Amino acid sequence: MPGTVLENLSGRKLSVLVTVLLLSQLACFLVGLISPSPASSQPILATVCVDKNPSADSMDRWFARTCPHRIELSNVAATEQLKSNNLVFAMEMPQHMNDFSRWQQNLAGVLQFDVVYTEGGKLINTMIELTLDARLAYSDKLADGGQTPWTYYKHSKAKRYMDCHFDEHHNMKDKVGYPYSCTMVPLFELGSLYHDYYLLNLRIIYDERLNLNTHLGKVDDIYLHIIHMNGGFTKVWVSMKTVFFPLIIGVMIWFWNRVHLLARTPALLEYMLIYLGSALVFLNFPVEYFTLFFDMPYMLLLTDIRQGVFYAMLLSFWLVFTGEHMLIQESGDRNSLKKYWKHLSSIVIGCVSLLVFDLCERGIHLVNPFHSIWVTPIGTNLALTFVICAGLSVGVYFIFLCYMIWRVFKNISVKKSILPSMTQARRLHYEGIMYRFTFLMAATLVCAGITVVSFIFNQYTQGEHKWDDSMDIEWTSVIHTGVYGMWNVYICALLMLYAPSHKQWPSEPLSEEVEFSRLSSDTTATPNEISSLTSFVAKANIE
Amino acid sequence: MRFTDKFRRKVGAMLQFFMLGVFSVHQSIAARRPLVNGTWIRMGMAMDEMMQNDQGLPSCKVLPGLSPGQSRLCQLYIDHMNAVALGAKQAINECKYQFQNRRWNCSILGDINVFGPVFTIASREIAFAHALAAAGVAYSVSRACRDGQLSSCGCSNMERPKDLKQSFVWGGCGDNLEYGYKFTQNFVDVREKERKFKRGTREQGRSLMNIHNNEAGRRAVIKKSKVSCKCHGVSGSCSLITCFQQLANFREIGDYLRDKYDGATEVRVNRRGRLQLKDPRITIPTAYDLVYLEDSPDYCVKDDVRGTLGTKGRPCNRTSPDIDGCNILCCGRGYNTIKTVVKERCECKFKWCCEVQCKTCVRSFDEHICK
Repeated sequence: MPGTVLENLSGRKLSVLVTVLLLSQLACFLVGLISPSPASSQPILATVCVDKNPSADSMDRWFARTCPHRIELSNVAATEQLKSNNLVFAMEMPQHMNDFSRWQQNLAGVLQFDVVYTEGGKLINTMIELTLDARLAYSDKLADGGQTPWTYYKHSKAKRYMDCHFDEHHNMKDKVGYPYSCTMVPLFELGSLYHDYYLLNLRIIYDERLNLNTHLGKVDDIYLHIIHMNGGFTKVWVSMKTVFFPLIIGVMIWFWNRVHLLARTPALLEYMLIYLGSALVFLNFPVEYFTLFFDMPYMLLLTDIRQGVFYAMLLSFWLVFTGEHMLIQESGDRNSLKKYWKHLSSIVIGCVSLLVFDLCERGIHLVNPFHSIWVTPIGTNLALTFVICAGLSVGVYFIFLCYMIWRVFKNISVKKSILPSMTQARRLHYEGIMYRFTFLMAATLVCAGITVVSFIFNQYTQGEHKWDDSMDIEWTSVIHTGVYGMWNVYICALLMLYAPSHKQWPSEPLSEEVEFSRLSSDTTATPNEISSLTSFVAKANIE
Repeated sequence: MRFTDKFRRKVGAMLQFFMLGVFSVHQSIAARRPLVNGTWIRMGMAMDEMMQNDQGLPSCKVLPGLSPGQSRLCQLYIDHMNAVALGAKQAINECKYQFQNRRWNCSILGDINVFGPVFTIASREIAFAHALAAAGVAYSVSRACRDGQLSSCGCSNMERPKDLKQSFVWGGCGDNLEYGYKFTQNFVDVREKERKFKRGTREQGRSLMNIHNNEAGRRAVIKKSKVSCKCHGVSGSCSLITCFQQLANFREIGDYLRDKYDGATEVRVNRRGRLQLKDPRITIPTAYDLVYLEDSPDYCVKDDVRGTLGTKGRPCNRTSPDIDGCNILCCGRGYNTIKTVVKERCECKFKWCCEVQCKTCVRSFDEHICK
């Protein structure tokens, strides 16, 4: 009767395997050390261009940093004769004669308004509704070092909310010139960074009749903070994927071969393992290479879906894994997912609501990079509904899972109490199996724990911007590569250790013969046994 | 330079305070150079002329008040000089605003020292002026970086300081605020370090004081900056989060430094060439605090030698018990009250972008003028 590799592997071989896996895990952490942080930002001060003829507006008039009439908004004399439709805020990306590389993957833009108090400014009602006419253009580098003329890319009239409040200090004599503290305004998200240069032209039109930008105060400066992935990190990340992708495929082929060598049909857990492996392969597939040659604005969405599929599979696997080791022999329908529909539906609900949310946000970004679901009240409610729905179903899932794990451990402890009544050889054998099983459960817990803790730690370290450059290690990227490597190693270990073993049971002492044959005849009646642990428990049940 | 940077950040504020002296003593470049006349803050005064001419980048020879070391830096970073001058100008304006109701109202005498002979007194006011000027430059250079004016801002393909290595594509740009801080550290402090003084002398103490206050000014820019973050991970979650610095409004930096001025610490230079507390009972100032060596003159009467204008003819507040009250501001000489009628703007309404609609009100009030 075949067991899994985990049970039949000798302690020495197991320790070698575990060491190799741990070493590759360590390598993943070390890879993170050489990589820069995953993303960087760059602040760009808007050049205020004067459009002398705003009525001649068309989509191929672009104002760049070198526009002929530039002014400073803080210079009151220069702005006196101007209307709001004369002003065009031009931001060229990136700065300093650099150009974007396709390795930098994606681009997000956040606006910062430096609003100061001036005579006639409002100190109350500080939720400001902004209506921004935002236009994006792109340009590419020419072989001779020049660049192509700006070409229209995307355009939108975007509505945003900015919360500003005014702190009155104790030693403030005159409020004029003091700043409001305003929230950031997320503006756009581009899923692909296909071109070398981008240009944002922003118009903030005042219209009392249509109630456009009527609450906006005196603005001194507008900054655009752009956030892009770092080329170095993408390179490290893609190389990791390139290594793991064939590796996991190889292990999966080996695993499936092992399963097919058996005379029986594959068990549910084996199907689950192969699904999980496929989800990981889907995640590992280094599709980023294509972005170097093709314009793929759907990359952000694709990344979300890939991650979502992987985590959904992982969560389902844990559920089925625990369920299959419930150690209570039930008849008939064990070998199907149908039994788990109640538990799995929580995962399905969570994933579907997250997918809908993602399609509403990043899906629409494909058409309009300035879209934000959070702007309109309906959109906010909708988004919140989906996110809360997903959160609730994840909560329900974990309650289910914890309950099932608790039952498994309770069953194991009950079965442990009858171990002393067995012969020594069998007892040692079963104890070993239990030890390895709990070892893997512990590994799962450790992996999940490390993931959660490291991401919380990441939030904490990012929140306070560090000024101490003695800390040269980029923890964020170490965490990302480490956690990514960890799940690869984890699933690799599962595939290897839960593959059916071709070793036969060690011969038992004669005195056990009768009892043992009864056990095997019982369990072979249900052809879906996965491990000798379950069969052992089945035996115990009979006893 | 690198060593001092690293060191400064690591040691606590107290240690640093005492170590500063050691560093400047060991700076033995340019042993004997002619005394520099005036201060580089004059660049701020020259700013308006430079802007009017608008002939692109200024020439280092035209710029007033640079020390030999600063001239060298000027030639290396010629495109930074507009920002430096703008920073100096901003500092002067801010100084005038912060001190408008004090006996010394940051009056510009227009000589080589900008503030007149007062500038040579190692007083509290001058400590503030130095800190504000350094803050102005750090602020202005950081802002110019964001404007894309400067050819080396820690992320360009062109030359950049050695400690900012990463290229743009591999690791993104360095922090602009950090760049402004480092540039100012080189540019403003170099003049204090290029001359060697005998330990424990007044000149050495003055140099240490300037270095300390310059550092306090630069740090004020960093201290007042705000950090904002954006989550951009899977589905917009915070699995990936990027934070960025927001430059504070310069008025806030001025307020902060004025608070530091009010709490400035008096120190003296000891025989080993380090700054020491005059009164050991006070807490040791940190790198964010201002220090001064000499008591301020009372600024009450016009004194051409000292360069004080006196408070005669200054308006004061009759009811205020504070520094702007007539009692203190007029130095006990009393005041004249004049009935004044002014037309002023009132009931204003601001309209984006550039319009303030106001009514004109006539207001009559008693103006008090110091005798």
